Amino acid sequence: MSTIDVSESSKNIGNGRKVPGAPLRPGWKKGVAIMDFILRLGAIAASLGAAASMATSDQTLPFFTQFFQFEASYDSFSTFQFFVIAMAFVGGYLVLSIPFSIVTIIRPHAAGPRLFLIILDTVFLTLSTSSGAAAAAIVYLAHNGNQDSNWLAICNQFGDFCQQISGAVVASLVAVLLLVVLIVMSAVALPHNSYL
Amino acid sequence: MKGSSMEVGEVSKKGASPTRGLSIMDFVLRILAAVATLGAALAMATTNETLPFATQFIKFRAEFDDLPSLLFFVTGNSVVSGYLVLSLVLSVFHIVRSTAAKSRILLVAFDTVMLGLVTASASAATSIVYIAHHGNAGANWFAICQQYNNFCERISGSLIGSYIAVAIFTILIILSVVAISRN
Repeated sequence: MSTIDVSESSKNIGNGRKVPGAPLRPGWKKGVAIMDFILRLGAIAASLGAAASMATSDQTLPFFTQFFQFEASYDSFSTFQFFVIAMAFVGGYLVLSIPFSIVTIIRPHAAGPRLFLIILDTVFLTLSTSSGAAAAAIVYLAHNGNQDSNWLAICNQFGDFCQQISGAVVASLVAVLLLVVLIVMSAVALPHNSYL
Repeated sequence: MKGSSMEVGEVSKKGASPTRGLSIMDFVLRILAAVATLGAALAMATTNETLPFATQFIKFRAEFDDLPSLLFFVTGNSVVSGYLVLSLVLSVFHIVRSTAAKSRILLVAFDTVMLGLVTASASAATSIVYIAHHGNAGANWFAICQQYNNFCERISGSLIGSYIAVAIFTILIILSVVAISRN
């Protein structure tokens, strides 16, 4: 019976594989970790930008009657309030996850920080997708209205307000996309020992 | 495990048992989520209420495809339900071959995308259902639930199945990732 000795890992086997299961050049995990860090910074910018854009959306029309002043602001919609709070949470989490991302750059073969990041990223992906999609539904209504239920498209009057809330929704969906890419990248780079 | 020698023909049983339980739980949860999303899509798609009074020109009728977000809800949940049924195949493969890592990574990638889709459709429908219940004074949008009671109950109830699927997807992703790191 022949024995396979796995301890001679300093020799190159064929195309540079030093550890069984590592598909590419040695050090590719560090590259993935650096990419993760950069994308995380982008996601921080997107989510905090979305929260800020929505929170500062406020428009008062120049005409008013004796009894009403025509004003649109994000806090007359509870969906937008949820959006601001949720995107602020997501931005805060991403800022706090930067140290863990740096740890994965320094120690690319440790499973603990990556696993922790993936699990928390999944939770916050759910939160940001939820807030982004709910706000998108309202923004769609604001742009198009709905004839069957007699809901008027308010964007026709409040142009600036509409632009800001639409921009906020787009920024939050960019953050969602970045989080999806982050999760998949971390899953690919997660240390495992099998061949398949 | 690095540095130890293995004889050819000797199969190590250490890797099989810790992740086999996770794979079985993954399979069961996938079936539950498929049923939940299918139920949600069907419950929303069969909403139809016509009010008993009608003028000569207008008929008061509410259907799910009058509201585009609810239409997105039905399509999104149907797509996710179909994906879950197809991914049962891969899940069975993971029960049989518990040390597979690359196929698990593929499954995590698809699950993440589908988590995004089902969460988006559930949330968009929820915000429309919220407006249907409460209206919005600032935009002068009237709460249609006050007239269409049955329709409203149906669209509210169908959201539950979708949110169950959201929770299950989160658990599935975490299970797969833990199984990858244990192998």
